[in-house]
Amino acid sequence: MSNLRYANMCHWKAIPYKQIKNFREFYYEDKTNTAYYSDWDRLLRYQKALGFDGIELAPWDLADILPLFGSPEAYKAFAAERGIEVVGMFHGAHACHDASKFDEVVRAGKEAVDTIVRFGGEQMNTCPTDNYYGIGPLSRQQVQDCAKAINEIGRYATDHGVKVGLHNEFFCGINRENHREFIEMTDARFVHYCIDTAQISILGENLLEFYDTYADRISGFHLKDTADPNQPDSVRYSQDPEIQDDGKRWFWEPGEGVLDFEALYRLLKKHKYQGWITLETDGSPDYLASMALSRYYIDSKLKPIYE
Amino acid sequence: MRVSEFSVSLDMINRHYSEPNRNRYESKYYWEELYTLINAAGFGSIEIPFEPVWQFGGRSGVPLTPYCVNTKYGDLSAYRAFLQSCGISKVTAVTFDPSLFARNDQMGFYFGATKHFALQAIDFAAGLGAKYLVLSPSASIGRLTHYHPGLIANKAPFVEELSKVVAEIAAVAASKEVKLLLRPEYWSVLSLDETLDLVKASSGHLGIAFNAAHLHLADSDVLSFLEQHCDLIDYVQLSDTKHSSAASFKTDANPAFPSHNATQVFCDVGTGVLPLTSILTKLTSLKYSGHIVLCNHQTRDPNRALLRNRRFINQISPFAPEVHYV
Repeated sequence: MSNLRYANMCHWKAIPYKQIKNFREFYYEDKTNTAYYSDWDRLLRYQKALGFDGIELAPWDLADILPLFGSPEAYKAFAAERGIEVVGMFHGAHACHDASKFDEVVRAGKEAVDTIVRFGGEQMNTCPTDNYYGIGPLSRQQVQDCAKAINEIGRYATDHGVKVGLHNEFFCGINRENHREFIEMTDARFVHYCIDTAQISILGENLLEFYDTYADRISGFHLKDTADPNQPDSVRYSQDPEIQDDGKRWFWEPGEGVLDFEALYRLLKKHKYQGWITLETDGSPDYLASMALSRYYIDSKLKPIYE
Repeated sequence: MRVSEFSVSLDMINRHYSEPNRNRYESKYYWEELYTLINAAGFGSIEIPFEPVWQFGGRSGVPLTPYCVNTKYGDLSAYRAFLQSCGISKVTAVTFDPSLFARNDQMGFYFGATKHFALQAIDFAAGLGAKYLVLSPSASIGRLTHYHPGLIANKAPFVEELSKVVAEIAAVAASKEVKLLLRPEYWSVLSLDETLDLVKASSGHLGIAFNAAHLHLADSDVLSFLEQHCDLIDYVQLSDTKHSSAASFKTDANPAFPSHNATQVFCDVGTGVLPLTSILTKLTSLKYSGHIVLCNHQTRDPNRALLRNRRFINQISPFAPEVHYV
């Protein structure tokens, strides 16, 4: 039995078809590769073929997924038929630094937990509050209010078999100066941490030291590389920095950036990590190619260290 | 008829659906080159879809909301000046589809968000110098009925509320010298007759945006429609399809992607079965003097679509000599 299971974070964007049964006919309509990227059936089969047995859903896709499948349960069954299980769903705890929105934030978090349970998932990787630009710097009280809301969501999630994993991004209101303070303010019984390897490196954390320090709280990983760790305030605090005007990418497939994943896997072995590793290739022009490239890297470089 | 120019809708860019290289559409550089390519293909004006989704989550590289434009250019005037520098001298209309807000079982949320963002769309249109806001009357039947299963069986309250919201939006639009136009769509909850009734009852505050492929797919004879309702039509979108009817898929969850048989419903202008030359000739005989916009919904290749559009225009001249264009 492997210690590690691999999933894929869903960044395909809206997928218009459940299953294309007239594949050849559809292909011949315009003879482009559109047919290859238009149905859940094929995308899930690509995942399975490349050894990514789980999928983490994106909440912004639900408005398309639910009318298409009818219900979370129907999606879960469809994925299971192809050997894929829903690991969980990303969640944005927007405005959780604002005490006046506590009830609204907690209600949205609980609804997201309920949705995940219906999909059969067990993880809710949660980004605390909004982008730094517009709300930062946060006061100590605002950071505490973030923690209070996340703790409440985490308590509810735990009761329903879902693990809330904090997922910090390099441009969030929770940023380099209060990242660890915030983690310490959350309740370790109910709130865990999902390390997005690239995001926290761009934020300015030392990936290896961070994991070594917080290993007991880690509930999952978003595995991706970056060529640009440790970005200055002027970038992290800027307006809408995630998508750059000139097409510059922050994120790359493992092995295509500068992060030391082999050292990270030695630490996974040290701490006997067991659970999901979720590949995330946002920003890639071709998710299928990125998945295949990542699988080769995992199998050739990382698997020999820890699996 | 003298058509001073044909316009191109930015709707041809696939902003939402999975395909390789789609990520480039989220960066500013892509759009800034696109404007110059549109101009290089011989077009000097554009239509812009207003899509609030791009201001959620920091995707401001997609220039489809005031927030995005203000973030990247400072204000709408500076954006217009930038367009001008790329050879785009006019924005003919802003379009708005409220499908984004069909996402839960709260009809109050659907109408509230539709109105809230329609008002933003009006400001967007006014700030861009566009004379029209083209509104999709409703989200698609399939999407709405997923969240509101009893909608069709008890449609009257929906139509009543929609009529009220449309009237409110139209009044605000008129106060800002923007005219609200309803675009009949084959997947709409509002039937063609109901849409026309709404427009006729507005005493000129509302108009019709004629979209050729949508009307054709709704089983309407497009030439007869023009003949009968020309006085209500303020704006023409030339779009195309290879299909004869949408009867078998108009109520699907995603009616642009028929579930029983995958197909590209819309095709690049000039490559389908619509009698586009006859439409232009008919518009000429009816002395239509408004904009004509080329809508390449669902194109697989925007650059090829632009060249196909230019080829189409080059080809119509011998067959419709009464249509003058520059």
